[in-house]
Amino acid sequence: MTNDRVVFDNVSRFYGEVLGVNRVTLSIPPGITSLVGPNGSGKTTLMNLMSGLVRPTRGEIRVLGIPPDDPERLCRAVGYSTQFDSFPRGLTGYQSVAYFLRLFGFDQVKCDRLARAAIERLRMGESAHRKVAAYSKGMRQRIKLAMAIAHDPPVLVLDEPLNGLDPLVRSETIALFRQCAAAGRHVIVSSHVLHEVDQISDQVILLSNGYVVAEGQIQGVRGEIQDRPMQVLIRSSRPSMLASKMFEQDHVVEAQLTDDGGAVIIKTRDADRFYRALNVLALDGIDIEGVMPVDDNVNSVYEYLIGGEGSR
Amino acid sequence: MAVYKRTYKAYEGALTPAWSRFLILPRSAYGRLMQSKFLVMYLVSCFFFPLGCAAFIYATHNLSFLTALNIPTGPVLKVNNTFFQFFCGFQAGMAVLLTAFVGPGLVAPDLANNALPLYFCRPFTRAQYIFGKMSLLLAMLSAITWVPGLILFLIQSSLAGAGWARENSWIGSSIFIGLLVWDVVLCLIALALSAWIKWRIAAGGAILAVFFAGAGFGTAVNAIVRTQYGSLFDLRRVIGFVFSQLFRELPPTTEVPVSDAWTALAVTSVLCLWLLSKRVKPFEVVK
Repeated sequence: MTNDRVVFDNVSRFYGEVLGVNRVTLSIPPGITSLVGPNGSGKTTLMNLMSGLVRPTRGEIRVLGIPPDDPERLCRAVGYSTQFDSFPRGLTGYQSVAYFLRLFGFDQVKCDRLARAAIERLRMGESAHRKVAAYSKGMRQRIKLAMAIAHDPPVLVLDEPLNGLDPLVRSETIALFRQCAAAGRHVIVSSHVLHEVDQISDQVILLSNGYVVAEGQIQGVRGEIQDRPMQVLIRSSRPSMLASKMFEQDHVVEAQLTDDGGAVIIKTRDADRFYRALNVLALDGIDIEGVMPVDDNVNSVYEYLIGGEGSR
Repeated sequence: MAVYKRTYKAYEGALTPAWSRFLILPRSAYGRLMQSKFLVMYLVSCFFFPLGCAAFIYATHNLSFLTALNIPTGPVLKVNNTFFQFFCGFQAGMAVLLTAFVGPGLVAPDLANNALPLYFCRPFTRAQYIFGKMSLLLAMLSAITWVPGLILFLIQSSLAGAGWARENSWIGSSIFIGLLVWDVVLCLIALALSAWIKWRIAAGGAILAVFFAGAGFGTAVNAIVRTQYGSLFDLRRVIGFVFSQLFRELPPTTEVPVSDAWTALAVTSVLCLWLLSKRVKPFEVVK
């Protein structure tokens, strides 16, 4: 097994009779990976499995080659931020970060340095010495992230990390994720905000009812969905002509002019042949101002694969 | 987007030993606990009786002092196994109340705040968590039970001489074993109830109920079923039987065999550990 990946090999987890995840086989490379799925689809179970909080009922997990049987190493490799506002009562933001660092066995000085660094990275320096109970939702979220990154783990597992953050902090946090990913870390996030997933993810894992429905780069996943024609918006000075020419192709199933009349949306069953045909039309002198796929984003893929089960 | 080139370096410095990491929990909790004036006052009051006992021991060895104060002396003033058994029984009662104050705050807040995953996604086991939480209460209970008990024993030994100490060394062992067993049982009951009842006041009430309602229930069982085994539901009585054996003060006919009292304490402890293992988990499944 590769030592720079998070690997699930036919992993199932049942809670008594309740299915958590079933027959999950994944190999997650470094970078930002988003877990997407409706409530109860198994996102948190998958995160609990990779952070060692839950053992699989069946199958094998390796996080950078470390099995869950070796929690001492595994917990050092993984930084986990849960979806709950979970803090021991009565602590300040700084104390929360420093207190949990002590559990790693760092001495007081090291804990202090790491805690301050993590808090500064999340721009919480000014309010670090206020009680967590007095924090806003966004501040609590940032302290949770600080707790997850404080020990400098190569794998960050973040359950709904962008919940409750205002737009500015949200973009700063996304920048932090990118920074971590660029440094070669795994940043595994779950989110319900699909356009954000689109923005930040190197790859996505779509889950439904405990099963992995699709995984990989979103364009690749979209390409695999053969039963849904791909939609492409083409801006042209002669959209009607373009539409009629395109409709002659057997792989084109629908051509629809946009309301403003300046573009046409083509639905095709074969993207490769479509783009070849479009090149030919361009060479024949039809003016094409822009081409933009309409449904190769997470939102569409989610809608196609998971549908109305829990989409928001 | 990611370039997948590792530019970070993991920490490779010295770490504190894993075995001592459970101490982080009581260390941080102790300071918070001591902010309660009521608890501090109660803790102080727990030392009044040992101080009185120390004065009593001093007085029994300085009869001239009592005579000077016109206090009659007689055979009542004797420091022996009965004296220490009474001391243990009294401090065991004080320990129950201390447990009801401190116990509810041990696990309940972590469960109420869903904070358990924070502990267990770090190199920290469930056993370390339970032991860490338990050690805080155990230390406080020890401070008011067997520690002053042994100090009194040492005072008596130093005043009565080496001969007395040699002859009665078993009393020292009895103080230590009896009260330590009681402290451990109290800790386990407190942890188990704190883990199952998230509301602190209710958890405190439940701890007291185990002792007071247990006593009532035991009496009712004895009356209805016409047996003596109902006494095993009254944990204070159970530890009383154990103290009787340890201090060699067994009455001619005990209600239940002392071995059954030991078994009752063991069963209570195992039940508490089982309850804890059911509740102290890093995740919760919504069915």
